[in-house]
Amino acid sequence: MSKDVLLSAPMMGKVIQIDVNPGDRVEEEDEAIVIEAMKMETPIYIPCDGTISKVNVKVGDTVEEDDLLLSIAPE
Amino acid sequence: MRPYFEKMPEFGKALKKGQIKRGEENALDLKAVETEIDAAVDVIKNAGFSEEKINARGQMTVWQRLDYLVDKGTWSPLHLLYNPADNSEGTTNVIDGLGKISGRWAVIIGFDNKVMAGAWLAGQAENILRVTDLAKRLNIPLVWLVNCSGAKLTEQEQFYANRRGAGAPFYRHAELNQLGIPVLAGIYGTNPAGGGYQSISPTILFAHKNCNIAVGGAGIVSGMAPKGRFDTASAEQIIENTRHFKSHPPGSVATHYDGTGFFRHVYEEEEGVLDGLKEYMKGIPAYDPTFFRVAEPAQPQFDAEDLYKLLPIDQKKVYGFEEILARLVDNSECMEFRPDYGPEVYTGLCKVDGFLVGIIGNRQGYLGKGYPEYADYPGMGGKLYRQGMIKMNEFVTLAGRDRIPLIWFQDTSGIDVGDIAEKAELLGIGQSLVYSIQQTDLPQMMVLLRKGSAAAHYLLGGPQGNDTNAFSIGTAASEVYVMHGETAAVAMYSRRLVKEKDAGRPLEPIIEKMNKIAEDYKTFSRPKYCAEVGYVDEIVKLSDIRKYMVAFTGSAYQNPTSICPQHQMILPRIIKG
Repeated sequence: MSKDVLLSAPMMGKVIQIDVNPGDRVEEEDEAIVIEAMKMETPIYIPCDGTISKVNVKVGDTVEEDDLLLSIAPE
Repeated sequence: MRPYFEKMPEFGKALKKGQIKRGEENALDLKAVETEIDAAVDVIKNAGFSEEKINARGQMTVWQRLDYLVDKGTWSPLHLLYNPADNSEGTTNVIDGLGKISGRWAVIIGFDNKVMAGAWLAGQAENILRVTDLAKRLNIPLVWLVNCSGAKLTEQEQFYANRRGAGAPFYRHAELNQLGIPVLAGIYGTNPAGGGYQSISPTILFAHKNCNIAVGGAGIVSGMAPKGRFDTASAEQIIENTRHFKSHPPGSVATHYDGTGFFRHVYEEEEGVLDGLKEYMKGIPAYDPTFFRVAEPAQPQFDAEDLYKLLPIDQKKVYGFEEILARLVDNSECMEFRPDYGPEVYTGLCKVDGFLVGIIGNRQGYLGKGYPEYADYPGMGGKLYRQGMIKMNEFVTLAGRDRIPLIWFQDTSGIDVGDIAEKAELLGIGQSLVYSIQQTDLPQMMVLLRKGSAAAHYLLGGPQGNDTNAFSIGTAASEVYVMHGETAAVAMYSRRLVKEKDAGRPLEPIIEKMNKIAEDYKTFSRPKYCAEVGYVDEIVKLSDIRKYMVAFTGSAYQNPTSICPQHQMILPRIIKG
């Protein structure tokens, strides 16, 4: 079984939207989470096809750069 | 230099399923705005008398004349919605754009003979000056379709006089002639007074048999020598004079072809005038495109329709600039200049229709740890920082040396602010960029992809560079304002809110005013408004942006006023290292 792929925050900001839930099947480039910083909304995209194992944040959370957002079991 | 340009590194990626799915709603939103723009353009096209009515008089409409004159597929209209004086006619009453005639690029402009027989209206002179500036900047011919009944007399005070009023274009025609730029004029219908000077000021006059041009037309001649009041006798005299001049108008072909010889040619048919223009355009100085091309023309590797899924209409959402660019330039190839410096800005060499162009564009989104290097806060694309502005200064200066036309893609929220930014010299480096752009004396085009805001709007190749910007186009996502409406409302009312709060008064009236400001900013920044007041020269469909880039580039290379031999260019060598 392959290891989960981890998706981290590329920047500090506030989580304003989460588009996936644990168990969801996702495809590369699906939008996963939106982080707001400096008045701009930055979407974070799924890096590979797979299934969401865990979502580590909730809407309203403030995240720092490199904080873990979610993990994906790759196909 | 063939190894440099023939095959450059490829960039861009095909859309993934997720992007396609996510972009569908965005595409619909963008296309809805484009449909609104189309509807507004249709109103202009259908202004005044119907095509049937004009044709029944034995005349073609300006649109039919343009259609006959311009090479198929090359017409790139500008200023269709431009109406800075908010005329009730909805138009300045001239139709203009870039197009090829007999295979050569020209700036083409014609009076709309459906609307008051092509009268002068408010804002028209400003429109014409934009057009003469365009011919000057691109050093290509100006082709007129004159059919001008003179001033709309009930509104003459708005445009007749003044420094940039209705007489100024005649001086611009003289200026173009002095610069060696020909102004060709096909002349139709009755062209008295101002219409007469519209007709006489070009370089070569091609007349339709029924046209006339005169210092004063029948209407004026019939009523000259005022007596202080009108009475029955004077009315009878006017009737008699009018009948005479209607059948024998001043300045007809008999006078100005047979007599003065002002008209170089006279044609029986309306199409004949246009055929004459086409024939002369074949002899206009123009390099064969192969003289300047660096590669065979090629389409981008990716579909322009992708742009609707890639460019978010929501100004808060970020996107990848290179993915946009990959859908606009030949074979999606580029040579990027200083990719590891100034990440908020893309600078690079690309090809458009086989010609070399310099591209500058704002990147969007988070700029990475440690940038800007002078501050402890993160940098976000769309904003300009020290490195990005230094990089643009370098790129523009080198492009000027190498005589490479520039295309700018603007989507900016401003320049970094605060005392840290001041110490980083951003004010001075910004003005240095203005200096760099001005000293290039290069033709430049600006695409306002989304936002033009704050001082950064002035620095990025836009219309404020009167001598360098040939024209600017906007998109369905374009917005222009000094700052966001909500920011402006806070700037205006924050102290008042404090005052009202301290006085124990209700805040609602102030909140209402703040919301009104925010709403007004929205109204006065949207694409249609930008086109009406001239912030951009045209709102263009995303799928047509490349067409305008081709028109600009082909025009800029048709007969440039200065040349850098390709093998003596330095910018590509600096990029290669």
